[in-house]
Amino acid sequence: MLRGLGGDAAAHGELLSAMSRYLRGYFARRIGSGAADLEDLVQDTLLAIHLKRGSYDPSQPFTPWAYAVARYKLIDHFRRGGVRKTVPLEDAGELLAAETVEEGAVRRDLNKLLDTLPPRQRQVMVDVKLAGHSIEEAGQRAGMSISAVKVTIHRGLKALGKRVRDED
Amino acid sequence: MKTDDLIATLAADTTPAPRIGPRAWLGLACAAALVLAVALLAAWLGVRPDLMLAMRLKSFWMKAGYTGWLAVAAFVAVTRLARPGARLGAALWLAILGVLAMTMMGGVRLMAAPPAERMHDWMGHSWTFCPFLIMGVSAPAFAVIVWAVRRYAPTKLRLTGAGAGLLAGAIGAAVYGLLRCNETTAAFVATWYTLGIAVCAAVGAVLGPRLLRW
Repeated sequence: MLRGLGGDAAAHGELLSAMSRYLRGYFARRIGSGAADLEDLVQDTLLAIHLKRGSYDPSQPFTPWAYAVARYKLIDHFRRGGVRKTVPLEDAGELLAAETVEEGAVRRDLNKLLDTLPPRQRQVMVDVKLAGHSIEEAGQRAGMSISAVKVTIHRGLKALGKRVRDED
Repeated sequence: MKTDDLIATLAADTTPAPRIGPRAWLGLACAAALVLAVALLAAWLGVRPDLMLAMRLKSFWMKAGYTGWLAVAAFVAVTRLARPGARLGAALWLAILGVLAMTMMGGVRLMAAPPAERMHDWMGHSWTFCPFLIMGVSAPAFAVIVWAVRRYAPTKLRLTGAGAGLLAGAIGAAVYGLLRCNETTAAFVATWYTLGIAVCAAVGAVLGPRLLRW
């Protein structure tokens, strides 16, 4: 970078082509490797790095500066597009849930296990332990008193524990 | 255009990069902004005729200290914000500290004054237009500073805009406060100067994303 700043064309070209590879990876991770705008963004950022090279402070490390430029261009890209990367609401749960293969497998096992419980018990358990409702909320939804919910959860956990042990 | 072609084209542009850092460049811009603000004030409102006399008053130097402090804090903030990836550091806290100190001084002085005079000490005779005049005097300074910052690459446009507004507002307030305004109380400065400068910063924050894009 320093030699490029001084007007060394070969060094500057080397820097830019090295940056283009890093940038392609950087943007690919953020907007998807097949995205149509990927190459546009890379070129945009290279151009910005070239035009704004005067804003780089040679006494500071180069990488944070370059990535700050790339980040700015990425944000600018989202803003200009007016569309953020969106997922239909129905699929959002899936996106959040199946983070890894293992997690998906655990979830399936858990559902299978929960299915063995009586419906009311199951509903309360899911509300409190998985969906994160408070005991009061779960009681209102199921039409049970707070202490009844607590007892139900306690029994449910016991039943689940027993079943897991039996399966082993 | 292929990326490799672009790289070749860019590499062929061997004009050495501009080597003037934000500090020097923005310093120049501030000097120009100061000259513009003084010229505008002289042409529009006129310099107070008793300037030499006023310079002997403590209040004159209080205004100079307050606006100067804010200008320095804003200057440091903007020079940092002009570079991608640079940290803002303590500049913002410097400005807040200045406002707090001024407010406390104004409050203490106000409490020390006889109750009957407090209202007048606070409002002075010019509170209805003082903030607006500060904004007016700051406007050309703001334009110069924004123009200077555009040469660099601010990535936080709103914050940078606010910083530029703060800087311009502090310069404008200094020029108006020292060369024109004859209010003398700390409470007045703490309230109405701060208000005028804060509105400048807010305007900067609103305009920043539009003016500073690159």
